[in-house]
Amino acid sequence: MTTPSKPGINRRTTLALMGAGAFTAATPWVARAQAKTIKIGMPTILSGRVAQLGTSSRNAVMIEVEKINAAGGLAGRQIEMVIRDSKGQPQEAARIARELVNTDGCEMLIDGEASSGSFAVHEVARDIGVLCIHTCSEASSLTADPKQHIPNAFRCVRQGIHDSIAGGNYAAGIAKAKGLKKWATCSPDYAYGRDTTAEFVTYLKHFAPDVEIISETWPKLFQPDYTETVTKILQAKPQALYSALWGGDLTSYIDQANIYAMFTQMEVFAVNMADYTALTVVKNLPKGIHSGNRYIKTFPATAENAAWGDAYKAKYKEYPTNWSWQNATAMMFLSEAVKKVNSTDGKKVAEALTGLTIKCPFGADGTVTMRADDHTLIGYAIGWGTTIPTEPYVPDVQSGDWKQILALEAEWKKSKGYT
Amino acid sequence: MSEVRAETSVVTRSADSARPRPWYFDILIAIVAFAILVTLPMLFTSKALPDFVIRCAAFGLFATSLNLLVGYTGMISFGHGMFFGLGAYGFGLLMQRADVSIPTAIVCTLLISAVAAVVIGAICVRLKEIYFAFVTLAFQMLIHSVILSWQPLTGGDQGLRGGIKRPVFWGIDLSNHTHLYIFSCALLVIGLLLMRQIAQSPFGYTLRMIRDNPVRASFIGINVWRAKLTVFVLAAIFASVGGIIMSLFVSGAYPEFAYWTISGEGIFINMLGGVTTFLGPMVGTVLLLILNDTATRLTEHYGLVLGVVILFFALGLRKGLMDFVVDWLQSRRESSKGRHS
Repeated sequence: MTTPSKPGINRRTTLALMGAGAFTAATPWVARAQAKTIKIGMPTILSGRVAQLGTSSRNAVMIEVEKINAAGGLAGRQIEMVIRDSKGQPQEAARIARELVNTDGCEMLIDGEASSGSFAVHEVARDIGVLCIHTCSEASSLTADPKQHIPNAFRCVRQGIHDSIAGGNYAAGIAKAKGLKKWATCSPDYAYGRDTTAEFVTYLKHFAPDVEIISETWPKLFQPDYTETVTKILQAKPQALYSALWGGDLTSYIDQANIYAMFTQMEVFAVNMADYTALTVVKNLPKGIHSGNRYIKTFPATAENAAWGDAYKAKYKEYPTNWSWQNATAMMFLSEAVKKVNSTDGKKVAEALTGLTIKCPFGADGTVTMRADDHTLIGYAIGWGTTIPTEPYVPDVQSGDWKQILALEAEWKKSKGYT
Repeated sequence: MSEVRAETSVVTRSADSARPRPWYFDILIAIVAFAILVTLPMLFTSKALPDFVIRCAAFGLFATSLNLLVGYTGMISFGHGMFFGLGAYGFGLLMQRADVSIPTAIVCTLLISAVAAVVIGAICVRLKEIYFAFVTLAFQMLIHSVILSWQPLTGGDQGLRGGIKRPVFWGIDLSNHTHLYIFSCALLVIGLLLMRQIAQSPFGYTLRMIRDNPVRASFIGINVWRAKLTVFVLAAIFASVGGIIMSLFVSGAYPEFAYWTISGEGIFINMLGGVTTFLGPMVGTVLLLILNDTATRLTEHYGLVLGVVILFFALGLRKGLMDFVVDWLQSRRESSKGRHS
């Protein structure tokens, strides 16, 4: 049996309206209480071919955010991350970065964009003056080129030039020891591949002047078939091969080169091999591939690094990537800079970040520094070693010498007209 | 079913042509539209709104220019994005390296795009249907590869770095976001007005005839190749204006602007908005950008949402939104006429 409704406003409706009115009146106070949180925006790539890297960036950031929030937040303000997918499109990255600041009220940006997307976000940071930390773009020019310099942007990422100097020195040592004079290169045909390869060859020849490049191949980015490239290299009969292939391209290349037993015929130096995204995906990982470290939990061989890698794996059921440690480091820098000035004001935090050295599990000596003159990361763990097919994959990594890296980087900057 | 749709659209078009509006009517609408756009930021405080309108201007001009080819001439170009990219890179490079004023850079960029369109169009417009579509796509990929490879000039995959200078001209300072907004609105309205005049001119009706029956068109003395090449060049110029607006918005130019996905988005916008009405692509642009901005805010499964929307338009409406609305209004008008008679 139902009760017939009476016309007009009854008691229940009146109470409901009063409740709604009270809620509306209280909303400003609720909003003010929420404003205690600090929103940090993060455009990154969560779809497409590099989605795994973008997701691993987000995961790493969230691990650090939980730690910072548990310890009281940034200057007493709990962090709320607003993370959006740019789909790897620079115009979307720019649009999202603007939206995060202008509409969502984010006070800082963690830029998880690669390549062109990072330059697009950099221009947004230049335009609206928001504090921005780039965490994924390895392009040296992003911070080395003085035209790019703005006081509110920083880069917490490894750099191609650092890898090339460390790699050139390591490879020259092997070349001298084993008499490797004829070299070939095989790198992706775009700016990163060509720049990194040219820089590697420069420093290889710097340390081992009698080295000769007898073959160069430039497969297209995301190329599915490497048969032609592999056979061309085999025909040239080099003693050693350098490759800047990465991710799925590198694993496809190794799987296909394995068919031709390439890795038994020459020494292979693949700068991007020692990353779990590649190490765990290759079907038969050959023994003895030389690689620079991307992220492995055994280098630097410290309890802090191992614990961080294990905690990440326990939470997300997979190992972190190179992008993960960079994003985690950015959050550590933010936390320390805010502590230093006891404020979340972007300008003050930027001043504190400039030249800041912090303790970090990914530092070569347990610390990393945000270099003052170009706002870029130095002192991170950098090294080369050889692979084995099972964990820990790269058991003995030789550390790069940061004094040497910095000295040669300074010369490189001069040669490019950056200083 | 398709015959019925074709007949309906023919009826619509003929009804449209039976009552030609005076030329100043379009100018009046353009002035009113511009006035509304300029007052929008005063009515709504959201800072995202000007950004949205600027992006609408860039993609709207691009998609409407594509419709000059697809909807009016029956030339389905898969490579129209190359002119969007050329516009962005041409303007960006001129501003960064040539030290010229913004109006000079815009004019030079449009000239560069026109010359490129003449060369590419001269080869492509002879081809029919799928061959035309794929050769335009091939040219787009060629231009994209050149942008990636010519690193000293274009910056390769990292794009034009260091921002685009915006010196003040005629009292307009494009580094001021309000000025940029009004400037973009002006380019949009002027661009649409000019394209509308092209579509409604005798040349526009020649294009429709070529679309419907190119053999007949050539038999009555129309140089089909020349007409197709002319509209190809005109569409390229307007697409370049879209690229210029986008390069100003992001203060750079990136190889993605010349990639095939931009052309794909143009085709998709036309599918969404419809190709038988002049404003269909503009409506499609607004729909796509709203969809994009909303979906990326709410979900990471943007592709899934977009796929469902494509299915809805392709299998549900079986035409663009504006086509659907126009057909519906037409059928209502006819049924009401039938009742009165």
